[in-house]
Amino acid sequence: MDRSIAVWAGAALALIVLMALPLGWLGWLSVSGEHGATLAHYRAAFADRALQKALWNTVVLAFWTGLVSVAIGAPLAWLTARTDVPGRGLIRGLVLASFVTPPFLGAFAWVMLAGPNAGILNTFWRSMTGAREPLLNIFTMPGLIFVVSIYTFPYVYIMVANTLALIASDLEEAAAILGAGRLAVARTVTIPMVLPALVSGFILAVLQALALFGSPAILALPAGFHTVTTQIWSLFQFPPKVEQAAAFSIPLLLATALLLQIQKRLLGRRGYAAVGGKGGQRRTIPLGPWRWPALVACLVVMSWAIFLPYGVLAKGAFVRAWAQPLTRDNLTLGNFAFTFFEYGATRAAIVNTLELAVLTACIGAAMVALLSYVANRRLVIGHQLVAFLALAPVVVPGVVLAVGLFIAYTRPPFVLYGTLWILFLAYLTKEMPVGYAQADATFRAIPGDLEDAGRVLGAGRLRILKEITAPLAKSGIIAAWCFIFIGVIRELSASILLFTPNTRVMSVVIFDLKEEGQFGAISVLGLVMLALTFATVALVQAALGRDVLGARR
Amino acid sequence: MPGVILKALSKRYGEVGAVDNLSLEIKPGELLALLGPSGCGKTTTLRLVAGFLAPDAGEIWVGDRCLSSRASVVPPERRRMAMIFQSYALWPHMTVAQNVAYGLRFKPALSRSDRDARVREMLRVVQLGGYEHRYPGELSGGQQQRVAVARALVVEPEILLLDEPLSNLDANLREEMRFEIRRLHEAFGNTTLYVTHDQGEAMVISDRIAVLKAGRVAQAGTADDLYHRPRTRFVAEFIGRTNVVEGVAESRETLAHGAIRLRVAPAELVPGARVAVSIRPHQVSLDTAAAGGINALRGTVRRAAFLGDTVDYEIAIAGSDLLLRAAAAPIPRFEVGAAVGVRIDPAACVPLAGDN
Repeated sequence: MDRSIAVWAGAALALIVLMALPLGWLGWLSVSGEHGATLAHYRAAFADRALQKALWNTVVLAFWTGLVSVAIGAPLAWLTARTDVPGRGLIRGLVLASFVTPPFLGAFAWVMLAGPNAGILNTFWRSMTGAREPLLNIFTMPGLIFVVSIYTFPYVYIMVANTLALIASDLEEAAAILGAGRLAVARTVTIPMVLPALVSGFILAVLQALALFGSPAILALPAGFHTVTTQIWSLFQFPPKVEQAAAFSIPLLLATALLLQIQKRLLGRRGYAAVGGKGGQRRTIPLGPWRWPALVACLVVMSWAIFLPYGVLAKGAFVRAWAQPLTRDNLTLGNFAFTFFEYGATRAAIVNTLELAVLTACIGAAMVALLSYVANRRLVIGHQLVAFLALAPVVVPGVVLAVGLFIAYTRPPFVLYGTLWILFLAYLTKEMPVGYAQADATFRAIPGDLEDAGRVLGAGRLRILKEITAPLAKSGIIAAWCFIFIGVIRELSASILLFTPNTRVMSVVIFDLKEEGQFGAISVLGLVMLALTFATVALVQAALGRDVLGARR
Repeated sequence: MPGVILKALSKRYGEVGAVDNLSLEIKPGELLALLGPSGCGKTTTLRLVAGFLAPDAGEIWVGDRCLSSRASVVPPERRRMAMIFQSYALWPHMTVAQNVAYGLRFKPALSRSDRDARVREMLRVVQLGGYEHRYPGELSGGQQQRVAVARALVVEPEILLLDEPLSNLDANLREEMRFEIRRLHEAFGNTTLYVTHDQGEAMVISDRIAVLKAGRVAQAGTADDLYHRPRTRFVAEFIGRTNVVEGVAESRETLAHGAIRLRVAPAELVPGARVAVSIRPHQVSLDTAAAGGINALRGTVRRAAFLGDTVDYEIAIAGSDLLLRAAAAPIPRFEVGAAVGVRIDPAACVPLAGDN
């Protein structure tokens, strides 16, 4: 017992340092001047017309992303959860694929698909119609909203589908037997019960759009406009204006915290959606003649998110010129040779990424397992604080975290800038909430009775941990490991501020390759990243015995 | 086989006292049921005895060992107890044999073959021979229950603790397992503490029952004692059904309720005090004609429900607001609205003390 307290204190202390150091410095630097505290940086940041414009662009992007995500995610969730649309498993699998696709890869793919000049869809359109103008221009605000939304709608989907799966049909039938027609049932029972999930899915989508760096950097910068995240990034370019970046980060942090608080409130009152119990069966609603049109509609949406982008990446990887037709002459494996052997940065980046991903996942999984066990079994006073701290990084967008880490670890006592360790800290902090939530769910599912039963029979706490808790928690902790791993290999928004020439990671190299127009190498690296991601997802599903989107055992 | 003594035990959760100055003795080899409604502190008491909780005050003794006190608490694993959980708490990643053998790992004196032999023997006793290599998930509820029993008994615990072990079973199986647990208790003779909220279960299984209310022992005794000589209204109403008649003591042996006079035996009332008596429904006897004599009343049948071996009547007593429940033989039958004579033996009127 005493030993476990020491371990807990260590873990909690690490957690506090992890969080407090970067955010503390961030807050302090944003108000520090040569003569003590000042609001000059805020004034400078917010009086700047360009920065005002970036702020407004972010609001527009986030709001529309939320709306479009709801418009896509909610119907899709209803169709797969409650109707007899064919291929429900396939659709669910594709939503999952969209969920784990790194958004910046999708953005690259859409540059190749719908760039105004060479974009494949546009050349196809021109050849079909003889038109001179492009059909689509992805380098616009609507284009950006579109690309962000097709990888963000799964948040809405997950919330709504899981809630629908909890609402027993008899709740609806109770309304029907009292005289409500189908529309009235939907209006008075189903929709009100799903509404909190819908709104909270909307908020999650907005949060994603707020924090996103990759897609705006790829699509908005060529179009000549900034968002808050790209603006913070450009404040870091030479000569760096760190104080202004810090001042500009704080509103993003506060907005995120506020939105999450609203979302938590909404879900806190959701309790009624879970009522239903064992007896509650969910009967599927027959779509009749609309079954196949519904499936086609789903597949069209999924072609935007998956088929077209993956197809163009695959093509880009295996051809000399991605904009040219697929002919025998055009086919090559040269992109692979270039990526892995000729271009100096990639191999080192892949090694760095894998090293960081494995290290972060191992240490992260150990930490979240420890912390959530302590919190769940209430082993010590203050266990609520542990949960709070572990989940706190959720409110910190990657770019903001990076600004904080940059400030904190470029000065004593910990000078880590320029090493992989600063990236490790960024990833560990950023992925902590995801891992913690998974580990927490794992320990919640293991009743305390199972441990008590062993103790009564004579086993000490550590022995119980080894012989009973660990075997039962194993698959859940493996899943936590995988979630952290996936999060790290796709991470861009913090890495882009923290990397140095010797510590580049895959996502950063992909970003650099764009500057050089090396779309073949981007495609190859993108496929590698997707392969790693899907292999890990498969591992999670095997460990958990269910899909990553949750519910539906 | 030692007994268990709880001395002035208290456990508070925040402001709420879950167990409040509770004292109780479980004699060696006795099976004592802790009976009470939910929230009365019975499970907290059990977990205090098991050592999962530390008392805020009081002590727990087993034989000459003090296991819990404010100063120190022996951890559960060193108490030489076994416990059967409401959820059974079978480990899903271990087979039946591994589950049952687990407690024997901590008895280094046993050889491997002895261990296996004891596990086999115990599984035979609970009628699960041949199920050694099944996993708990492959068993029915009743079988899981038997595994839990085997796992607890195989270690030959000094003290056996059971936390509502039958509440997850369906009604028929529950009935059967009551007798099974009693049979095993008679075979093994462990000192046993049995927590339940089901009075029928407590009466079938236990040697004695301690009725708990708000963290204290309201009354402890045999089922017979509690049924026939309840000391408080709470106990009278919790164990079986009863009529409670309130009134004022006119003399040492008479209770007045409006115009009604009830003779109470033994005559121990304090004249002038407010009193209540408990009268069990089967001790309210009915007749076609009004009879004379002690505690003879007249009434009208308000409701009658045929229950098979008895008929449950509700009788409105003439000249008062009293409604008495009576459980009478099916013959003679009284129709609703019929006038009946009512007689109550003075010895059946048990005076109750205030609850606090």
